[in-house]
Amino acid sequence: MTLIARRLAGHLARGVVMILVVATITFFIVNNIPGDPMAARYEKLIEGGMAPQAASQAVKVLYGFQPDGTLWQQYTEYLGGLFRLDLGVSVSRPGTPVLDVLTEAAKWTVLPVLLGTLLSFLVGIILGVFAAIKRTGKLGDALAISGSLLHGIPQYVLAMLLVVIFATLIPILPAEGTVDILYEPGFNAGYIGSMAEHAVLPVVTYALSAYGGWILAMKSSVVTVLGDDFILASELRGMKRSIVFRYITRNAILPLFTLLALSLGLLLGGAVFIEKIFNYPGLGWLLIGSVQDRDYALMSGAFLLITVATILANIVADLFYTVIDPRVRSGEEAS
Amino acid sequence: MVQQAPGVRIDGLTVVYKTPAGELPAVRGIDLTLEPGSITGIVGESGSGKSTLALSLLNAVQPPGRIAAGRVEIDGLGDVVGLAGEQLRKARGRHIGYVFQAAQNSLNPLKTVGKQLLDLGRSHGVEDLRGLVREAKDLLGRMGLDGARVLDSHQHELSGGMRQRVGIMLALVLNAHLVVLDEPTTALDMITQANILKIVREVHAERGLTTLVITHDIGVVAEVADRLAVMYGGRLVEQGPTREVLGAPRHPYTKGLIRAIPRLVGDIDEAQALPGRPPTLATVPKEGCVFRERCALRMDVCDTVDPQAVADGPRTVACHAVTVTVKEHA
Repeated sequence: MTLIARRLAGHLARGVVMILVVATITFFIVNNIPGDPMAARYEKLIEGGMAPQAASQAVKVLYGFQPDGTLWQQYTEYLGGLFRLDLGVSVSRPGTPVLDVLTEAAKWTVLPVLLGTLLSFLVGIILGVFAAIKRTGKLGDALAISGSLLHGIPQYVLAMLLVVIFATLIPILPAEGTVDILYEPGFNAGYIGSMAEHAVLPVVTYALSAYGGWILAMKSSVVTVLGDDFILASELRGMKRSIVFRYITRNAILPLFTLLALSLGLLLGGAVFIEKIFNYPGLGWLLIGSVQDRDYALMSGAFLLITVATILANIVADLFYTVIDPRVRSGEEAS
Repeated sequence: MVQQAPGVRIDGLTVVYKTPAGELPAVRGIDLTLEPGSITGIVGESGSGKSTLALSLLNAVQPPGRIAAGRVEIDGLGDVVGLAGEQLRKARGRHIGYVFQAAQNSLNPLKTVGKQLLDLGRSHGVEDLRGLVREAKDLLGRMGLDGARVLDSHQHELSGGMRQRVGIMLALVLNAHLVVLDEPTTALDMITQANILKIVREVHAERGLTTLVITHDIGVVAEVADRLAVMYGGRLVEQGPTREVLGAPRHPYTKGLIRAIPRLVGDIDEAQALPGRPPTLATVPKEGCVFRERCALRMDVCDTVDPQAVADGPRTVACHAVTVTVKEHA
């Protein structure tokens, strides 16, 4: 266990450095985008007849600070805020901390993405094994083609296709939103059922668009393992088919965990199109909104969140290997 | 079940591989008998079909290859070419132990040797798994390894020589009495090589096995085998007691092989490489002698007629030029 702890410590240290670098880059890029939302609001207040002194005060109250420090002061203040998990205040929703906006949106992204990805991973790897074993037959061909096809269709096309089919042609599922307004928010059957119903199409879209990648990756991984000497050796030792099958799948699935972790990290931010199409107020939707509204604070907060998620996913994947792959384990001992 | 060394009779064995140019024979018309309790060595260059022959003993020729003709009769099992499914699976490991090339990774990298041993035991319905582990430790101990430690190790924690001994242990632990070793010492250093050969000889004698050793190294055969069979282009060109064949080779290919071995004493130039290169699946002549392109004794008849193996006492040789002389002497 000390080994895992040591690895974790190293990863976290590297992760913090990476996050600081990304935060710095985002800060300066956002800072260089033309336009000044605070000045815009200030002028708006003045136009509304407020005295300059009062307008300046109002802006300061709204956003919690006065943007009159030097760039360096702003930068250090921003970084200092990060350590206190303070991402600043949203520009387009004055008075609301960015962190609150993000966590509110995250709950609409994390669960559907997690569900969709795990679903496609599970189905993809199981069918991938069959696609590899039956690769010379019709079943294998059909599976491989299904993978290539779904892998080739862009997410947003798939999403619109599903909307057309299941919300327009056969209207059995809601096309957009997260829940019907009929229901009282809270822990009741109607509300949760409606939420689940609204989540079906986004989840299915995530699952279908990722499925192709999984089945193709698993197929090629299994084919590689099938060619390994120890599989033939196990067969020549008269091992049971079920045991050989386990040997194959366990060895083949290893490299896919990296991909899984990466895709989970990336999907948090990559869900932009799907959330836009389904009008689902998750992180991707928020990101688009923040760009349209020139909400710089929110924008940099969202970027930062995606960065952190990706880095965390990588760390989890790496630690996971330490647990499941004995070669990684002892490789560390040796060094 | 046979508890003593089984005999093996290979009869007219032909194995073909499917290629774009049709089905081509990798092994053709092999007749070979492994006497119970003997160690037979099969020598040949890469591509001569020796590994295919070894796999045929377990009816394990891999697609796109298949056994097209012939029988492999093993005492206690019958003709393995006719075995399939569960019967075949149970024969492998239980009756026939197969030891892989040392350079190959014959173990699951994710599991310890011990866990794979248990998988093997469960596959073959061994009830006394403790006994199996004891037997494995015993075998490893006799091969000079710390059994408990090895069973607790993963493949990557073992050296080549250790892996090879683990391979031998796994081939023997279920009490198989026919053991096939495919290039058992390739890729091992000289000292480990000598060690492994010593182990093969000792285990063979102790447990009363019938052993088949496949190798491209004539030195290995000279070291361990009672009988020697020489393969070329999928054909068995000469066989006989090891000493006799090495001492007085008859087939021009065997002669060439032995001439090509550098001696410890004397000039390196005395070793003469066999001119030309061995045929591949596609270039093996369809008719006539497979060796004629590289043969100094080539005659007209070699182009058209495949030389049959002619017996002379314990030895056989398949060569037109040699058969003539043998007949003349008779």
